[in-house]
Amino acid sequence: MKAPLAPPTPEQFTSRLRSPAVAARVGVWLGVSFGICFVTGLVSHYAQLPTPPIPFPTSPSWGYRVTQGLHVTSGVAAIPLLLVKLWSVLPKFFERLPLRDHRRLLLAVLERGSIGVLVAAAIFQLATGLLNAAQWYPWTTFSFRTTHFAIAWVAIGALVVHVAVKLPIIRDVLTSDIEASDHDRATATTPGALSRRGLVRTTFAAAGVAVLATAGGTVPWLRKVSVFATRTGEAPGGVPINKSARAAGVEESAMSGDWRLEVLVDGVVAASLAYDDLRAMPQHTADLPIACVEGWSAQGSWSGVRLADLLGAAGAPADRDVTVTSLQESGPYRVTTLPAGFAADPRTLLALDLSGDRLALDHGYPCRLIAPNRPGVLQTKWVTRLEVGT
Amino acid sequence: MRTRLAIGAAGVLLGLYGAFLFLSRQDPGQWLEVVLWLGAGAVAHDLVLSAILVGVCLAGTRLLPRPWRAPSLVALVVWGSLTVVAVPVLARGGARADNPTLLDRPYVATWWALSAIVVVAVALAGFVRSRRARGGE
Repeated sequence: MKAPLAPPTPEQFTSRLRSPAVAARVGVWLGVSFGICFVTGLVSHYAQLPTPPIPFPTSPSWGYRVTQGLHVTSGVAAIPLLLVKLWSVLPKFFERLPLRDHRRLLLAVLERGSIGVLVAAAIFQLATGLLNAAQWYPWTTFSFRTTHFAIAWVAIGALVVHVAVKLPIIRDVLTSDIEASDHDRATATTPGALSRRGLVRTTFAAAGVAVLATAGGTVPWLRKVSVFATRTGEAPGGVPINKSARAAGVEESAMSGDWRLEVLVDGVVAASLAYDDLRAMPQHTADLPIACVEGWSAQGSWSGVRLADLLGAAGAPADRDVTVTSLQESGPYRVTTLPAGFAADPRTLLALDLSGDRLALDHGYPCRLIAPNRPGVLQTKWVTRLEVGT
Repeated sequence: MRTRLAIGAAGVLLGLYGAFLFLSRQDPGQWLEVVLWLGAGAVAHDLVLSAILVGVCLAGTRLLPRPWRAPSLVALVVWGSLTVVAVPVLARGGARADNPTLLDRPYVATWWALSAIVVVAVALAGFVRSRRARGGE
């Protein structure tokens, strides 16, 4: 007799649904999702480099929006895929190690280890990404951005190792009928409530439903069905707010009448402009999205002063990076670097208006930066200083 | 075999680069919490969620008449995934009083409504399938 709480053995799992045939089919799409997440994540990190070796392009203006929308939707789709994938291979978790045969033991420990790393890293990436989309940071010491980036490499590395280990089985089951049982455990013979094909289709449906329920934060026409989107877009000018003026501590400094925009060239103040001075300059309008890797984006019709005009009037050379400083007192994005290509693009504005109305305080009043194809966190709000080096 | 070794080696290199980034870009004081989170996620899935699912599936096969099982399983996969995805918005851990544009929907009420729809859909499908099964005898 077994003790009632003893861990089960793989033989005790008898459902035909827990099989390599299901695991491989769901796994292929899980791998695709992780691949998209990984590449689009790299794009975001590259776009945030202050001085990238190859300049990040300013066109298409919606490029960053699309890649980061893909990042979040593929991450959400991966959640049902990962849950069913892990469910289908659960009996493996209870396999005994071959303790007597040292060679096989070593291989088994290595493989288990790589799967342990893969599972932990995959769950970590999906969980922290999901929490980040809702701006919820329940951890206390580590930085989301740095850690999510590092663990992404670990996850993708462990995934590639896993594919290498399983390649013969993957190849075999994918080229056979889904109901074929060549690679099944001997005891996996009880028919499931669904056929294997039915379970795989249900999993894809679950991934689709999860995407529909959340993607409205970045796909405007899905807003009505995206009941679990973190943002609906009901905000001034139809553009959500990530950090409020209060959170940034700029309520007083932005609203005080003595705000000025300083333009420094070579460390010397070349221009000091009041709000009305900016208003008096030629105004331009650009329809540009603002997009955040947190899974939301919105199109805005921005109007204001063309940055290149402003820098030209101050006598700054055109082909230089620009250091942009915000009124906000702290935070990693208080000071950012705008690469020369973005500064020179005619669509890059110091926006004063959004959708024809004066910029809301939470959107960056008196003026904010808006540039095409640029990460949202770098579209600096409450701009107070521009510095150009020679 | 050579292909697999090459792929495996590439995977090890990618993973080691991640480990290097992890160790080099933050202080040792931050490592411990990351490792705890990594472990907690795996435990939460492998021991807690898996055990719950095994229990639910066992209960389902014991308690539910056969025609009800397929709709119940479909509902469990779809509704369960959706619920996991919705945890951060249901818990509202990131809500901020100064930013009404974030988490601006009645998520909890929606979740209850969706859950009710799922229950009704399963009941309808189970009922229809039971009648059909009886008719076929």
